[in-house]
Amino acid sequence: MASVIGFLGFVIFAPVAGALLAGIDRRITARMQGRVGPPILQPYYDVRKLIEKDDRSVNAVQGVYVAMYLMFAIIAGAIFFSGGNFLLCIFVLTLSSLFFIIAGYSTRSPYAEAGAAREMLQVMAYEPMVLLVAIGFYLASGSFDVSAIATTGSPMIFSLPLVFLGFVYVLTIKLRKSPFDLSTSHHAHQELVKGITTEMSGRTLAMVEVTHWYENIFFLGWVALFFVTGSGASIALAIVVAAVIYFLEILIDNNFARVKWSAMFESAWLVALVLGFVNLIVFYI
Amino acid sequence: MGTLSFLILFPLIVAGVLLVVRNDRARGVIVTVSAVAIAAGSIALAVQYLTGSAVHFEFESEAVSLAALGIDLLISLFIIFVGLKHKQYLAVALAAIQAAIVVWFDLGPAHAIVVENNLYVDTLSVIMALIIGIIGSGICVYAIGYMRDFAQHHADVPDRRPMFFAVMFLFLSAMFGVVFSNNLSWLFTAWEVTTVCSFLLIGYTRTPEATNNAFLQIVMNLAGGLGFAIAIAWIGTQFGTLELSGLISLGLSGAATVVPVLLLAFAAMTKAAQMPFHTWLLGAMVAPTPTSALLHSSTMVKAGVFLLLKLSPVLGLSLAGHWNVAGITVQLVGGVTFLMCSLAAITQSNAKRVLAYSTIANLGLITACAGIGTSEAVWAAIFLIIFHAAAKSLLFLCVGTAEHHIGSRDIEDMDGLFTSMPSLARFMVIGIAGMFIAPFGMLVSKWAALGAFVDSGNIILVFLLVFGSAATFFFWAKWLAKVTAIAGPASDLEASIRTEEWASIALMALLTVLAAVAFPLISSAVVVPYLGEIFPAVSLAISQGNLMIMAAMAALLAIILGSTLGRARASKRDLPVYMGGVGISEGVTAFSGSLGDATPASTRNWYLESYLGEGRLSRIGTVVSVVLLICGLAAALIFGSVM
Repeated sequence: MASVIGFLGFVIFAPVAGALLAGIDRRITARMQGRVGPPILQPYYDVRKLIEKDDRSVNAVQGVYVAMYLMFAIIAGAIFFSGGNFLLCIFVLTLSSLFFIIAGYSTRSPYAEAGAAREMLQVMAYEPMVLLVAIGFYLASGSFDVSAIATTGSPMIFSLPLVFLGFVYVLTIKLRKSPFDLSTSHHAHQELVKGITTEMSGRTLAMVEVTHWYENIFFLGWVALFFVTGSGASIALAIVVAAVIYFLEILIDNNFARVKWSAMFESAWLVALVLGFVNLIVFYI
Repeated sequence: MGTLSFLILFPLIVAGVLLVVRNDRARGVIVTVSAVAIAAGSIALAVQYLTGSAVHFEFESEAVSLAALGIDLLISLFIIFVGLKHKQYLAVALAAIQAAIVVWFDLGPAHAIVVENNLYVDTLSVIMALIIGIIGSGICVYAIGYMRDFAQHHADVPDRRPMFFAVMFLFLSAMFGVVFSNNLSWLFTAWEVTTVCSFLLIGYTRTPEATNNAFLQIVMNLAGGLGFAIAIAWIGTQFGTLELSGLISLGLSGAATVVPVLLLAFAAMTKAAQMPFHTWLLGAMVAPTPTSALLHSSTMVKAGVFLLLKLSPVLGLSLAGHWNVAGITVQLVGGVTFLMCSLAAITQSNAKRVLAYSTIANLGLITACAGIGTSEAVWAAIFLIIFHAAAKSLLFLCVGTAEHHIGSRDIEDMDGLFTSMPSLARFMVIGIAGMFIAPFGMLVSKWAALGAFVDSGNIILVFLLVFGSAATFFFWAKWLAKVTAIAGPASDLEASIRTEEWASIALMALLTVLAAVAFPLISSAVVVPYLGEIFPAVSLAISQGNLMIMAAMAALLAIILGSTLGRARASKRDLPVYMGGVGISEGVTAFSGSLGDATPASTRNWYLESYLGEGRLSRIGTVVSVVLLICGLAAALIFGSVM
């Protein structure tokens, strides 16, 4: 029963929460930059406008790939929120990212290709740490199933503090926040045209935006999983922590300029290697 | 028993016939008919033995043992002869030492040993037989068309196709010998025949490069063969048996088998191109593409991992529940190979070289699983073998055909293959997807391997896998991206692809997709019962439910992409791409330069050479694996009797 609620809850309410989160993000970002900022519902208006636009693109397959990107992001999140296998949802998410990359490449536009190549590098940069999070959960709880991890009694953060830190580090890459917003960015001042989304418009771009809403809620779910123990209070605490982490990401986003790809790649692997190893070795001795 | 002898003997006879047939058309017919017969034979074998317990056959035959000895000597003489001719004295020396050991052992201690069961069939050997019989002979069919083109493209190379096809079939026969022999001496003979077959196929063009690489292969595999011969002599003199099954039950009952098992594993790792012996498989690329496809997917390297899997109960943790120096060595060599070769694949733009590195990396994963030797690790390894065989042969065949039509095997030149060779590009996409992405088999198997690694208690292995699989994503994704890019208007370069080539490519693609969809069934009906016979308790890293989800997703993906990425829609090109200026979109991606000239825009994938120099990775991997092997062998010799 809980898994059905989680499943439907994610599929239906994640875009609503994601849109609001994006609106709040833009508002807070504006305040940090000394601007007033758009209404909270602006992301929703933007997407609605995109959907109404003419459906034109450089080729006919890009739309299909982006639709796959959206579909598999939803499936991945649904697996997570219905308590399914954590590794499975990582792999499905990777599949979703792959479709996004292919969508960029399929246009053969130099700008889109540059963005897509960077997105690919981002996936390679964060993948080890993400897998280590899954392995950490397994070692600490004895299962890869989210339902089991979330009901172990003692929050994961107690046994996986360094893994949590490492995860927050790569979360910046996953959320495509500066300084790791290499593939595409909302910040106009550091953008190479529009990166991977250069050739996307209309409905296709709308799907990309909606996927981001889903993804952001999904990743915050991962953050929350470090704190959930099954009790109602722990869920409330987890939501607060997730909100704080997201605020932290906005803060980082607005205080750092984009770094070179090599800095992102090296640091992400180093973080995974050091924090992951030091934390996980505990379970083996 | 009848099917079994058919599978070993029939290809042998076909090989003999092909050696003398000079007519092109007649050869085509013989190869096709024989390939179908061998495939049918392997399926018949599967019907008989796929889901049952292992069957051993007495098949007492002094004649076969004598023939095996004769073949061993013939092989040694042959190598000594060509070695002297090409001044490759290391090969000569290795062949001579090996021959001396074999003769001494066979004429001396071996006489006192009674071998009860010379041949056997179990589920694993049936799975291997299906791979050899269907994928291996499919590649032989592909070779008919390919070699005809090859002869035209390489007018300077003497046309030695009769020998080429004869060796291909001899190879199949030897592989069947490897997977059905319980008598270690027979197994050794078949093993050495595969080494010589690879030697002949790699050196096919007789260019200096081909000859050198062929000798590199034979020197490395003779070193492995030497290990094998010593292991046989050791087992024979110490334990008085020559049976593989006997060795395994001895090991399980606590006898000091660590040294011979490690020697056999060493032989298997040279064959499976594990570091530091990976260079021979990279060198083997100079051979015509069907050879590469055969070596990588269904023969040669698969013989190596097959033997490792056979040995896995005595390598791994299940043996008396404690660590075993042979197992640890195999695990770590496999793990290091996986990481280093996955990273090295990123730096390559030559498609065949990427495929070679990916093969070595995946064999590393299988090797590591065999070294762990728990039921979940062996489960992962078996599926890695199955999926790798199908997807990798598909990719080699696609690359071979693309090379003949676009004139390059460089991935950068495959830009726009989606429009110029639409069907071939789609087959290639299936192959690439099959190699690295959920929900296809390789990824699911890798997932299971991850679970097995975590449970094994070897944290180093976990880290090798985690970083290696991130690299795997990168090098496959960028290739996939190149192939799917839609550049320019549709042109058709596919018209001249031969029917044999299409048939084989389609077969491999079908197998790749079918295996992914039938995965849960293969697991529950075939692999799990098999593991139940070997291991006291079978635990799996992935639940049947999750396998079903994966299979359903594979089917979904095949249907959606199959129906939406059709030829007509893919060629629709609505708007020009943004070029930051005046774009020109007449078939090329270009912009109008400041003088009004059309400046084409070109982009290249990332190869990260500054980070991951191929040479540096290879050196690190070689040093680490040599140290591991030496330490492992030393530890086995010193502590072997007590561990």
